[in-house]
Amino acid sequence: MSKALVMDSYLLADAKTVLAQAKAGDPAGFEALYRAFETPVYNLCRRICRTAEDAEDVLQETFLEICRSIGQYREDGSLWGWIRTIAASKALMRLRRNKYRDTDELNDEVVGHRREDTHLRMDLEAALERLSETSRAVVWLHDVEGYTHEEIAAMMGKTPSFSKSQLARAHARLRRWLGEEVAA
Amino acid sequence: MTHLSMEQLVALREPGVEPGTQAARAHLDGCDACRTEFDRLHQRIARLRALPSLRPTRDRWPEVRARFASERRARRLRWVAVAGLAAAASVAIVAGVRSMHRPLPAAVPAELSEAMARSQALEAAIDQYHPESRVLDGRTARIAQELEDRIAAVDRELQNTDLADPGRRQTQELQLWRERVGLLDALVDVHLTRASNVGL
Repeated sequence: MSKALVMDSYLLADAKTVLAQAKAGDPAGFEALYRAFETPVYNLCRRICRTAEDAEDVLQETFLEICRSIGQYREDGSLWGWIRTIAASKALMRLRRNKYRDTDELNDEVVGHRREDTHLRMDLEAALERLSETSRAVVWLHDVEGYTHEEIAAMMGKTPSFSKSQLARAHARLRRWLGEEVAA
Repeated sequence: MTHLSMEQLVALREPGVEPGTQAARAHLDGCDACRTEFDRLHQRIARLRALPSLRPTRDRWPEVRARFASERRARRLRWVAVAGLAAAASVAIVAGVRSMHRPLPAAVPAELSEAMARSQALEAAIDQYHPESRVLDGRTARIAQELEDRIAAVDRELQNTDLADPGRRQTQELQLWRERVGLLDALVDVHLTRASNVGL
């Protein structure tokens, strides 16, 4: 069983009943979907978006889209997979809309390694937060959510090569900030 | 000795065989430093997957529900407008056809049109209060939500009247539209009462 299908049965034991309710327009069905998938959707959004406020907005937009489009869900794949793709697309759209400057990448390229980096060991949360939004999105979508580079490229409107290079750069930075560099 | 780059290490984790993978794997097998880096990459990814789930600071379901209800209301208004026109047209057609054979039962279609028009007017009145953007106390919100849910149930039954026995269809439709008008009337009262309580 794929990870996404495992998530389905873990998060929503009576998925068939809830889906039938939601497709019939019953508000109880929609709310049951929200309660079941609120946390994983928010977690995905928060890992991609820069702020908690953005992530909560994307959470709301995601479930609005689910309410509107539930009739289009064909039940031939994972429900979580379908919901997750809506959430990821909405989160990436938010990034494009905000167009934050990737100051971390700019500083690394212009200034080079900062002295304090060699003495500073961040924890993983801080290091992840410090990545540029694009790099963090690629790392999270690929390494945690299991999307392929082709799928990530399609969602981002980029090439698979772009996704691969972003992933490698992200891991190079995480390695440095986590203090994992092997002493020469 | 040239070690594997992060790009090469990351590529080694991909399924399938990419150009240069075989050479990279051969190097990995013979290089302790690169194997250490590869293990660290695996561990880093495992730690990413083990990060605790983040949760929203507050419940966003009420906003989702309110916005979706607002969209559905707007769609129903459009549907009511279209259905009203269609009903008027079908009455005209039926009148045209039946007048050739027997007198038209005028009471039911006219009452149906009247109920639909009243429903449309009440929807417009509710929209003027912009209910989705207002903060309601818990009790009022519950009452409003129950009325909305019952209106949605009536709408579903209205959509299913196509399946009803033709002889009973108009009577059933009239009954449902009247029920809809009653529920919308109550919903207007809820919002009107709340608006007047806060001096609006």
